[in-house]
Amino acid sequence: MPGEEIFYLSVSELAKRIESKKLSPVELTQAYLDRSQKIGPRLNAYARLTPELALEQAKAAEKEILRGHYRGPLHGIPYAAKDLLAVKGLPTTWGAKPYADQVFDYSATVIEHLNRVGAVMLGKASMIELAGGMGYRFASASLQGEAKNPWDTTCWTCGSSSGSGAIVSAGLAAFAIGTETWGSIICPSAFCGVSGLRPTYGRVSRYGAMALAPSMDKIGPMARSAEDCARIFAAIAGHDPKDRGTVPIDKGAFTYSPSMELHSRPLKIGWLTNAWKSLEPGVAKPIEAAARILKKYYSSVKDAALPVGPWEDAGNIIVAVECAASFRSLIRAGRVNELTDPLGQIAGYVNEQYSAADYLQALKVREIIQKKMDSLFETYDVIVAAAQPIAATPLTLNLETELVFPDPLGGIGNICGLPAMSVPCGFTEKNLPVGLQFVGRAGDDFAVIQAGRTFQSHTDWHRKHPKIH
Amino acid sequence: MGNKSESAISRREFARRAAFVSAAASLAPSKLLRPESIAAPLQAQQPANAPKLSPEGQAEVESRIQSIFARYGNRLSDAQKADIRRLAAEAQPPLDRLRAFPTDNGDGPGLYLKPLMEREKKPSPIPATAKPATTPKNS
Repeated sequence: MPGEEIFYLSVSELAKRIESKKLSPVELTQAYLDRSQKIGPRLNAYARLTPELALEQAKAAEKEILRGHYRGPLHGIPYAAKDLLAVKGLPTTWGAKPYADQVFDYSATVIEHLNRVGAVMLGKASMIELAGGMGYRFASASLQGEAKNPWDTTCWTCGSSSGSGAIVSAGLAAFAIGTETWGSIICPSAFCGVSGLRPTYGRVSRYGAMALAPSMDKIGPMARSAEDCARIFAAIAGHDPKDRGTVPIDKGAFTYSPSMELHSRPLKIGWLTNAWKSLEPGVAKPIEAAARILKKYYSSVKDAALPVGPWEDAGNIIVAVECAASFRSLIRAGRVNELTDPLGQIAGYVNEQYSAADYLQALKVREIIQKKMDSLFETYDVIVAAAQPIAATPLTLNLETELVFPDPLGGIGNICGLPAMSVPCGFTEKNLPVGLQFVGRAGDDFAVIQAGRTFQSHTDWHRKHPKIH
Repeated sequence: MGNKSESAISRREFARRAAFVSAAASLAPSKLLRPESIAAPLQAQQPANAPKLSPEGQAEVESRIQSIFARYGNRLSDAQKADIRRLAAEAQPPLDRLRAFPTDNGDGPGLYLKPLMEREKKPSPIPATAKPATTPKNS
């Protein structure tokens, strides 16, 4: 059986061993399953493990590889999918009691893409109920209970891709698929010390994924490195006629190989001075160190500022209105009462009350900030800031009252559909991970990957992992 | 009668408020339609740290609350009703900021089917001879 170190190898490293037949996908899958069965419940990381499906896929992968048919870097690689992605014949709960028995007779496009490249699904990752669309007050707002941070199990993973963060961080799978409407990939990646990519809006099909705010929902990878994210993104990106939100064929696909970076452009980096009002002292130190590293390797790093305006207000109203529409039947039927979180039980009623005129004003404001951001990206290829101003918070924290701070970068990035990546950049004095966030122009996912990859080529924070017994 | 600021309410604003209140009309007394009568109970019931709202804002909040209570009141506990009051009040300042942001008649809504990069941006140039800023030393 593979040793402990195998669980923290990157996709690229695992792929090399699998391709050269030094590592059996079946043994790797079984090892991850055993570990997930042992550690997963302690972290509330999974909604469900799917060992039969995983072993079936792993055996098929192994058979093909032994016959010389190697499909590529995800062939035989075990992963977890956030439990809002439909997998034919399996329960897809959206993390919420009203949908606990929901089963689809088709799979999400993302799952189909991963099947096509031979990846092995270990199970469905736990998540905040309805991806947090109804609002939530506590980390426990999930059918699976609060997801515990592998770095400190008294702390939260952040949400809503909470299980995805815990799974990758604890070495329960080689990668996971998360989703983000606002912060749900970037924050868990930062809190859990993993690398997460929020792709450009429309780059990855949402067909078969739970809709929260259809004009803002995005799907992306959470993994051990920027390079792994690039490889996974290459497998799942692309136009999909089943999702009218996807960009056209010529702009949807993404290809990646490390050699691309040899021909890549020197990035112009903007260091954001107004992304956060202030940083927690434990976060500020690693972020300052990260700034020094970037300045050492990119002579072009200059201070930059986000435009000022009601961008977050617009984003909040867009999410509120679209979520109320997405879950209209749940709200009207009163089944929001079945949600775990007290805020989730009522916020839908308030969100239903916004007027169409206010929603359209928010969309107009979105158009304005999209143009402003595009102008900013005439000067910079990538803008950078701390992924979060704080590190992982206690499980019992009241998020509504004690975790409130402006997030203009998250608001702007998500209403404009901009790609972003969080990479680990150090630890607080309490040994909690800190994330660094790169944000790029819409469509320029490669720039944020390149920035993350360059940062990781000069640091080893992404190679650190929690001690789990 | 309303004060000066209330009398300056546009027809559109009035129509919007009326729409909010219409759902509550069957349960709420007709005087609720008047902003000054709406503001008073809201002020009385808001927690101390509630946002400070204009009379118009308070009226709007109260109309939203009444609309919710008219439709869903029988399924809400007192604690939930109090929470809804708070949430409705907290939602008002962001709305006011958003409405105050100048937009022109010609500003289009940023619809999700057409991300900006799809509509009008040319791809960023990639210099053929560019050297990488750094050479990755590991994978």
